[in-house]
Amino acid sequence: MDLIDLSKLPGTTENFEGFIDQLCRRLGVEYGSYASMDPATGTVRGYATYRAEWKEHYTSHRMHHVDPTIHRSILSLAPVDWSRFERNSNFHAVFRSAHDFGISNQGVTVPIRGAFGERGLLSVTARMPPAEWRKLSRQIMVDLQKAAVHLHDAVLRIGGEVPGPLLRPILSSREREVLQWIAAGKSQQDVGDILSISPRTVEVHLRSAREKLGALTTVQAVGRAIGLGLIYPL
Amino acid sequence: MIYVVDSLNSGSYRSLLEDMYRLRARVFHDRLGWEVKVTDGMEIDEFDAMDPAHVISVDDEGHVVGCMRLLQTTGPHMLADVFSSIMDGEPPLRSSSLWEATRFCVDTNRLKTGRGRNTIGYVTSEVMIGAFEFAMAAGVTDAIAVIDPVMNRVLQRGGNAPHGYVGTPKQMGKVVAMAALMDCSEERIAKIRDYAGIHHDVFAEQDMLIAAE
Repeated sequence: MDLIDLSKLPGTTENFEGFIDQLCRRLGVEYGSYASMDPATGTVRGYATYRAEWKEHYTSHRMHHVDPTIHRSILSLAPVDWSRFERNSNFHAVFRSAHDFGISNQGVTVPIRGAFGERGLLSVTARMPPAEWRKLSRQIMVDLQKAAVHLHDAVLRIGGEVPGPLLRPILSSREREVLQWIAAGKSQQDVGDILSISPRTVEVHLRSAREKLGALTTVQAVGRAIGLGLIYPL
Repeated sequence: MIYVVDSLNSGSYRSLLEDMYRLRARVFHDRLGWEVKVTDGMEIDEFDAMDPAHVISVDDEGHVVGCMRLLQTTGPHMLADVFSSIMDGEPPLRSSSLWEATRFCVDTNRLKTGRGRNTIGYVTSEVMIGAFEFAMAAGVTDAIAVIDPVMNRVLQRGGNAPHGYVGTPKQMGKVVAMAALMDCSEERIAKIRDYAGIHHDVFAEQDMLIAAE
């Protein structure tokens, strides 16, 4: 999944919405949105690719106070398909209006929990036959998880709620070792042989290192790790 | 039969959760001698308040006979905190594709040894199948599980050997605790199912699985 690398860009609304827009195009969904909630103040910060009229309507009617895609999904560990929400007054308050703006109640929200206990939510929605939606949402779930944590960490960095030094990625010795060998051009199989661990375990360390570095690809991760002095350039 | 209980549906499963906390008290406090807090016969800690998902196995008579607790590794979890000694001072893995499994146990008093229904091996396999299918549907590809050497041997015998370990085993109460990595994949689930002879759908309800067929 070749996406805009938010770790290199200024944390502007334009960049965040651009990231979500590109994600939607690649995954074949209609709209996407991200919201994070500050646990201390309850402030909701959000970015979305919805049309301006809907965003205005949503904000002016203060729907973020009742929106189940926020208040229910934030309690979930796993991504929540919107079919799981109870069809209560809060649900109808949001989705009856959404319908008038051409937005479907068919969607999924991926909750992300950050290291400081803060939580973020990446949602996507699409109008298509239910069977197609079930198939698509299963296919895109791994990519959605990956995009959600990348976006969440990027938004957190500009939020200012967390002191800068705490956000410096803390790689384990094993993660640095794996990245160092990958930087030297070794395959995951090779790295496994060298370190006497399975290739799947190498993959788990590599994915963790990538996400800690805010990188979407291994190449980006190697570059950032060198830049931060976590591994040596060769 | 497997129930997945999280903070969205916990209102409907209060007694199931209480039975699970009682099983955890019998296993982790009484049998393994861990320093866990037990109140009214139930073992509940601060991570239970962080909206985890519980994978709970219930036998034909309605008894809770096995369970596992899942948390995201991107946020607060046990290896970053109370189990950090296992990590030897190293920072824990952090990935949206990795969930942490803790409080994994089965009821060794009620269950028999050997093969077939109502055995330790069967329920262990059922909990793993439930957890891995739930994880896969969520786009999660691996799990890091805090287990003891007995559970580790059960997994190795059950076609479910961890693909790696992180940190080093540490004494905890009467037993040693270790962190094992397992992929949540069709291949592993097929092996566990073959070993345990479980070929049916293990879930009591399907709505927990994203866009379940």
